[in-house]
Amino acid sequence: MDSDCLSLLPAVCLVLADPKQSPPDDTSLEKLLDWFKELHSQSDGQVLLQHQPCLLEFISSVCMSKTTDPAILSFTLKLTGLLAATTQELHLFDEGGLLVNVFEREAWGVCDLWEDASVRSGWLQGLLNMLKHQQALGFICGNGLIKVILQLQNDRSLFVACLANQLLVHILNFLTSPNMTNGSDVVGSSESSLRPDWVSASSEIMNAVVEALSSEDHPQVLQGLRLLSLVLSKCGEPIISTLWKDVLVPLEVLVNRGSESLIQTLITVLEAALGTPLLSQSEYKVEELLEAMLGDGNRKECFHCAALIVKLEKCPEVLKRKATDIILLPLQCVSTQPQAEKEINVVLKEQLSQKASCISLLMQSLSSLAQLAHTKYLFEDISIHSITSSVLLLLRMCSGHCPTSLLHSNAFTHLIGCCKVQRCGLDTLGALSVYEEILDLRKDIFGVLLDYLQSPDSHATVLKKTFQAVKRWIVCSPFPDLLQFISHDLFPVLEKRMCDLRWEVRDSTLEFITQLTTALNGNSGFTEALHTSGMVSVLLSSLADAEGYVRASAVAAVGEAVTASSHQMVLVSNSKLLDEALVQMMAILSQDTEGFPRRAVVQAFTSWLKGSHLITALELSLSSVLSLGGSDFDWEVKMHTLELAEVLMEKTLTCCPYAVQNFGSSEETRFTQALIKFKNFGLFDLLFNSLFDCDRPVCEKACALLVKLRTLTAETADLDNSLLVLNVCGNRWGDEVQRRYLNKQQAKASVSVTNGVTGSDEGTDCGLHCTKDISLPKILQILDLDDMQRMLTLSSDHVVNSPRSLMEDILSAAQHSEENIVDCY
Amino acid sequence: MKLYCLSGHPTLPCNVLKFKSTTIMLDCGLDTTAALYFLPLPLVHSPRLSKLPGWVSKDGAVNLEKKELLDLSTIDVILISNYHCMMALPYITEHTGFTGTVYATEPTLQIGRLLMEELVTFMERVPKAQAATCWKNKEIQRLLPGPLKDAVDVWSWRKCYSVQEVNSALSKVQLVGYSQKELFGAVQVTPLSSGYSLGSSNWIIQSHYEKVSYVSGSSLLTTHPQPMEQSSLKNSDVLILTGLTQIPTANPDGMLGEFCSNLAMTIRAGGNVLVPCYSSGVIYDLLECLYQFMDSANLGSTPFYFISPVANSSLEFSQIFAEWLCQNKQSKVYLPEPPFPHAELIQTNKLKHYPSIHGDFSSEFRQPCVVFTGHPSLRFGDVVHFMELWGKSSLNTIIFTEPDFSYLDALAPYQPLAMKCVYCPIDTRLNFHQVSKLLKDIQPLHVVCPEPYTQPPPAQPHRSDLMLELQPPPMAYRRCSVLGLPFRRRYERIHLLPELARSLVPSEIKAGVSVATVSAVLQSKDNKHVLQPVPKPAPVPPSKKRKRVTEEPPEVLNPKPLLSGAVPLEPFLAMLHKNGITEVKVEETADGHILHLQTEDVLIQLEEDATHIICDNNEPLRTALRDLVLRFLQKL
Repeated sequence: MDSDCLSLLPAVCLVLADPKQSPPDDTSLEKLLDWFKELHSQSDGQVLLQHQPCLLEFISSVCMSKTTDPAILSFTLKLTGLLAATTQELHLFDEGGLLVNVFEREAWGVCDLWEDASVRSGWLQGLLNMLKHQQALGFICGNGLIKVILQLQNDRSLFVACLANQLLVHILNFLTSPNMTNGSDVVGSSESSLRPDWVSASSEIMNAVVEALSSEDHPQVLQGLRLLSLVLSKCGEPIISTLWKDVLVPLEVLVNRGSESLIQTLITVLEAALGTPLLSQSEYKVEELLEAMLGDGNRKECFHCAALIVKLEKCPEVLKRKATDIILLPLQCVSTQPQAEKEINVVLKEQLSQKASCISLLMQSLSSLAQLAHTKYLFEDISIHSITSSVLLLLRMCSGHCPTSLLHSNAFTHLIGCCKVQRCGLDTLGALSVYEEILDLRKDIFGVLLDYLQSPDSHATVLKKTFQAVKRWIVCSPFPDLLQFISHDLFPVLEKRMCDLRWEVRDSTLEFITQLTTALNGNSGFTEALHTSGMVSVLLSSLADAEGYVRASAVAAVGEAVTASSHQMVLVSNSKLLDEALVQMMAILSQDTEGFPRRAVVQAFTSWLKGSHLITALELSLSSVLSLGGSDFDWEVKMHTLELAEVLMEKTLTCCPYAVQNFGSSEETRFTQALIKFKNFGLFDLLFNSLFDCDRPVCEKACALLVKLRTLTAETADLDNSLLVLNVCGNRWGDEVQRRYLNKQQAKASVSVTNGVTGSDEGTDCGLHCTKDISLPKILQILDLDDMQRMLTLSSDHVVNSPRSLMEDILSAAQHSEENIVDCY
Repeated sequence: MKLYCLSGHPTLPCNVLKFKSTTIMLDCGLDTTAALYFLPLPLVHSPRLSKLPGWVSKDGAVNLEKKELLDLSTIDVILISNYHCMMALPYITEHTGFTGTVYATEPTLQIGRLLMEELVTFMERVPKAQAATCWKNKEIQRLLPGPLKDAVDVWSWRKCYSVQEVNSALSKVQLVGYSQKELFGAVQVTPLSSGYSLGSSNWIIQSHYEKVSYVSGSSLLTTHPQPMEQSSLKNSDVLILTGLTQIPTANPDGMLGEFCSNLAMTIRAGGNVLVPCYSSGVIYDLLECLYQFMDSANLGSTPFYFISPVANSSLEFSQIFAEWLCQNKQSKVYLPEPPFPHAELIQTNKLKHYPSIHGDFSSEFRQPCVVFTGHPSLRFGDVVHFMELWGKSSLNTIIFTEPDFSYLDALAPYQPLAMKCVYCPIDTRLNFHQVSKLLKDIQPLHVVCPEPYTQPPPAQPHRSDLMLELQPPPMAYRRCSVLGLPFRRRYERIHLLPELARSLVPSEIKAGVSVATVSAVLQSKDNKHVLQPVPKPAPVPPSKKRKRVTEEPPEVLNPKPLLSGAVPLEPFLAMLHKNGITEVKVEETADGHILHLQTEDVLIQLEEDATHIICDNNEPLRTALRDLVLRFLQKL
């Protein structure tokens, strides 16, 4: 493939270098670069430039051209970098002084192109590509490019600035890497210390960082901080400590100034510092700086800082405690009774009196709390009990209930009906379910959650969050009154919500029921409540909902509910219900106009089949399920049907619950019986039809199943083929099998003719006859499943996406460009 | 300008505004909550109700919120905002000597008539054997049981009016259209769309220089009526604000959802739903919502029954008032399609309407079903029958959607009740949040509102968001208050006769402003003022001066020129200096400056609107100084 492409390369280079041609789109150029990268990595020592002189010509002509397009120049810069990534190639470039011409912008045909951000980014990317060896570094330092890179660090284009930072970090890393210092590079000298120009390069970079941090110019400070955090996370010693020593003073100034817009970046820097050995050395003051960021909780920004610090993974414990105390302040302040109130600082008071800041503060507070709960953080100064009560109170306030005495009545009016805080609070309440200490608050918690479920004003998204919280609290530890709560309080609300005007609410209610049923599977009390409360019949009526998504969720809920029981007995008593559900679900599978409900039906059947109980009614319908699902218009339904088939195969072949168990019957007969069963179910029709389906994933899945089946048939030696004969006439897959069969027969015949085997007449004759019945093992043999599988695993655009087609595209676009101009009007 | 408040009920207002010698009544709502003190009036004899112990009355009673604050016969005009706020009209216009005009829009008149006729029918079809009034005596009332004992103003409770009275009252209505300017004496009244119900309006009452806005039941929600017109309410001197939502904590959308889900739950379980409601208004929106919901909830075959003596007219009227509907309903008319989907419900037999429960209804009635019928108080109307019929089964549900009555009180005589009760009050009128936004936009100088709006609801004293907080604070009124409205009339428009105008000699005092003196006779009649030339033989001094700028009466000139302008201190001092007066001591005062010319011992007081030269017996010096002062002033 590559040799094909290489032959096209000169022509492509000509097209690209031709200023009259409009350049191919960026994606094509990027793909071309990818191909070069791949080629380069595979070349093991072979120098591409030597074999392809057109590349050097291309590069020099682009740089010299007076009419180069910025996209092409950018591409050329990146390509040059790629090609110069080994010392050998670099020498080839250097021979003609080409490399300097490429990376010295004064040498270009058009200097103005530098104004284009894509060119600048190409220039940086090119250097980054090249920086794989000492000579490259020498080239950069020797030509004073460090200065340019440092300038680009403050570029107005964010991409360029970011790339410049990366390059600088890469350079620093390279300077300190072992092969630079101990001289183990291929062509490197045996110097044990850095070359003087390199020392000056590194100090130039570091000075630039210090300078940026001390600057008054905000964007420059920001870039400096970004570079610093990148150095801290990407570089090693001694760079880090050298740099840190230099930046410590300006950094302290910045931290103490506490400018709102720098907080995020400063925290990133300090977070990076936490991950370095700097943390353990007190003279580097990492912890001190973080603590200074928090202040004493009296600055507007400290809450933001605290929220960020709480999220840090490697944060020192003391600091985390302090941050936690601060971030919980807004929550406590809004929802604490005055007598228990510590003296609240003025800043917080003021922030809480304004709607926007009040809501964002509380949300920060709540989400940090949720974050802490996820790690089951141990609160020390403040009890988890009182925190939970605060969250509960806040949620109550959001729905208009007010505590008897209130500290911040302003905050209260901001909160009424505020969906954002409600959602966040509910999430947090759910997260708090990990703490066993607050189990005694459960009554209050469920009280608040029920209020939310009942309130006519609850927004659909709030209800969804409420359901999630209810589920977490129910699941965390079943309590004695659980069933009472579910059947007396929860079910009536759910029943009403299933009649809600908004389909989103009906949908999330049904999803919640499904999750609850799954979570409490095996809890006989729950199953009984579910069946006696009439919930199941409400679920069944939801199967006829007007909204497709709701029907799909109803199917899932019904599917889960009718089988939810650990006792076969209960199932038997529910057989009427099961029959009814099955009839309705089959109706959906065969008639529903939307894909979601049909997919859900097949999935529900799959999970029934997977379950440990025998569902006789389903067995009777299996053949229609397989044929309906296999011929569905929706490819996902077909996929799910194949999954159902897979489960059916696994179950039947492992324990054979569907076959009549004949004690003493051999493994082989049981296998044959299973296959006969499959045949009766129409499983083979499904598999073969799917194998020739128009949707690739479907074919792939069917192919995998057939391969499995083939292995099994091959393993079973004395299979009675006569019992497993399939009719191959009158359907699409049969025709295909027949065609392949005939082809094979013909090939065999022609081979025998050439080999002069007698009786060839007979062979060809019988082969060319239409064969109606072929045995399963034979079919599996005829179909070249392995080849099919290999083809199917390739992505569907593998032909179109090849470098060859890419190059052909570029060439043909160039050929047709004139016609295109005429066509355009 | 005075406001007499005859009703303290915030949503059933009845106020009288005296403005520029006109007496304008703003709405005459009828508070029927007193009916809750009485037993239901069953169409068929109910053994249960008649056996109830205690006081039995056969009075169908209504409560008119009125006191003898003023003579009703002096009312010149009554402005009606919506059909709910006109139910007391016959009490005002009949037998009181009322000779004025009633202004209302056409839908208000027609639907108001329907509601009044329905009320009369409900009352009259259950004839009363006797009318009792003795119990109203304080001594007897004190002996009565339960809440009746504590009822106040029982003497103001009146018997229901008759059809004749309704007809006579409505014959005094003059129809108006939105934004139509109606001149009434010295004031102009204009109805504006208020968005609450078909034909509902707010009113603007204005003279040349004053503007009073009257905001009654208004809504900003997109329901069936034309949207609320807000911009014309701007720049009001006084805004009288009534008719806000009665249930500020219930959001209409949430309640509608609640209504639908409870209805679906009941029907699915095989029960019936009873919706006690008025025959017009929210019922149109309920039917429209159910029209979509029933199919999606898979309950398409459940019948709706609408039972009222005026059911048919109400449904039909709603379809013909196209120009009073919201834009998307109006555009349907041009397709042509009926604007409300209940036409389709009727066509497909899903909605059936009957004048009463006897007749066709009894033969076609099929369960489970949804019944819409009146009256929301559950004291009269066909709803009484359904309460008796369905009350015993827990499968059935009664859903209250009208916020006018306490549902627990309404249900009291039917207890014990097995049927489920759901309270989903749907009140689309402005809530406090919307009203504070509205007031921020239209910026009235003063707001007058019922007292309850100035404090949080008594049941939720902490909800400071459920009250009006304005700067300056609103003026609150309660029943029987008489408020002097807090603004002074400062200008009046006066006409000049042409011959007088011709004689004027304007002189420009600054660019665009010219001033002239006028001597004329002012004639005022019917709130109109005319300046006429002075009759020749009487050479009287000018009777009226229009003061627009400061003037200083000179003493010597004849005819006296009017002076204008101000004497600037520094140039004046310079001028004095130039004229040889050098020793001047300047003292600053509250109104200006006092200049003490020390050598001459003269005081010159320079004030904003006067200048005094005080010098003893030195007339030449005074004249000289006066002339210096005059150099800085303009003469007319």
